[in-house]
Amino acid sequence: MNRVARWFTAPVPLGRVAAFRTLVYLFVAADLVVFTPWVRMHADVPGSLYQPLLIGRLLPLPTPGYVLVTVTFWLLLALSLAAATGRAPRLLGWLVFALYLQWMVVAMSYGKVDHDRFDLLVALAVLPTVGAARHGDPTRSERAGWALRATQLAVVATYFLSTWAKLRFGGLDWLTGATMTRAVLRRGTVFAEWSTHVPHLLVVVQFLIVAFELSTPLVFVLRGRWHWLWVALMYAFHVMVYAAVTISFIPHLVAMTSFLPLEKVRPVVRLRRLLRRRADRPLPAD
Amino acid sequence: MHAETVTPTDSAARADPPVLRLGRTGRWVRIAVTVLGAALLLAGTLVGQDDDFPFGPFRMYATADRLDEPVTDTRLSAVDASGRRFALTDDATGFRRAEVEGQLPRFEKHPELLSGLATAYARRQPGRPRLVRIDVVVRLIELRDGRPTGKYTQRTVVSWSAR
Repeated sequence: MNRVARWFTAPVPLGRVAAFRTLVYLFVAADLVVFTPWVRMHADVPGSLYQPLLIGRLLPLPTPGYVLVTVTFWLLLALSLAAATGRAPRLLGWLVFALYLQWMVVAMSYGKVDHDRFDLLVALAVLPTVGAARHGDPTRSERAGWALRATQLAVVATYFLSTWAKLRFGGLDWLTGATMTRAVLRRGTVFAEWSTHVPHLLVVVQFLIVAFELSTPLVFVLRGRWHWLWVALMYAFHVMVYAAVTISFIPHLVAMTSFLPLEKVRPVVRLRRLLRRRADRPLPAD
Repeated sequence: MHAETVTPTDSAARADPPVLRLGRTGRWVRIAVTVLGAALLLAGTLVGQDDDFPFGPFRMYATADRLDEPVTDTRLSAVDASGRRFALTDDATGFRRAEVEGQLPRFEKHPELLSGLATAYARRQPGRPRLVRIDVVVRLIELRDGRPTGKYTQRTVVSWSAR
């Protein structure tokens, strides 16, 4: 049991979780403005069309209106940008989590629920538990380890359990039917249109998708080069899906960076170094 | 939660960075939370519905399609006070097409709820004439071998008119 417990909290560098945190909170800000701007439009929709989800009925959440939606938008935007700096990680982290959850309730309580951000919500829920973490700090921490592990588990669960949902709602027809054909016909790109003309090809693709999704837990077992290959495969899968039918799961792709050694990416340090080098260089003599 | 300690043994052996360990409670609380979350998610996947967000089943593109079944296409058609008839877009009301489809059974039972969309339209376009009629039109596009044959049948499933 101890070994299992240690696996759940395997230490990672604090610098990694600091970078992950910045990325996740910057995404929240970008999501508000760029990726799902339609959530804000619910401000004008009357409360009679609000159909609260279970979470909205359990928690004492008010019926969204113009004031609630507008205040949540600006508050969440300001706090997520502040949280991206890494300051007051617990206070800002919990506030951003609570507000983003509220934002999602506003988004999904009008008749349509999206399924692309469970793992992002998990990341937002666990990040405040890490506490202080400086960019570039090589100190390894079990707190940071658990936060990233929990996010990774949510990422893999998204794949693995979505196959279960396919079998539950689509049945075996999902594998042998016209699911992909329909998707390509509805929103296929030039990279995918030809595929509907090749007999059985898209049925093979359906089997490959399920095989891929069911094998994603291997990412926890594989070591070294194979591990990184598997992470690359997960990203490659989404590149292919996007190229074929322009469906992207951006929040999921952000959560998936919990697998990457993000502490090695130091854009601010690099920029500073570049500027210093430029400043140090003597001016060319005329 | 706050019992983090630096263990020198980890860093003394090699020049590895030090490790901040979790206390007993902190570790077990985290594991318990993980197991609880996993149990909720598993339950949601097995027997839950979209209503159980965020623990509902991951049913993105989970339904199976047949190539000879018609595709349904739901649209809103509106008439404003000037008598102009036009298609209501998602942007015009802030209510998405998928949301119309999601609440369609409710609209069919209570057509007066569509007046909410007229209200939203008026809020978003304060200068324009108000809407006096909204129709939810469902178009069934005929498919053969997964390709549209060009034929479709169209039906107004629910209407609302201002009095």
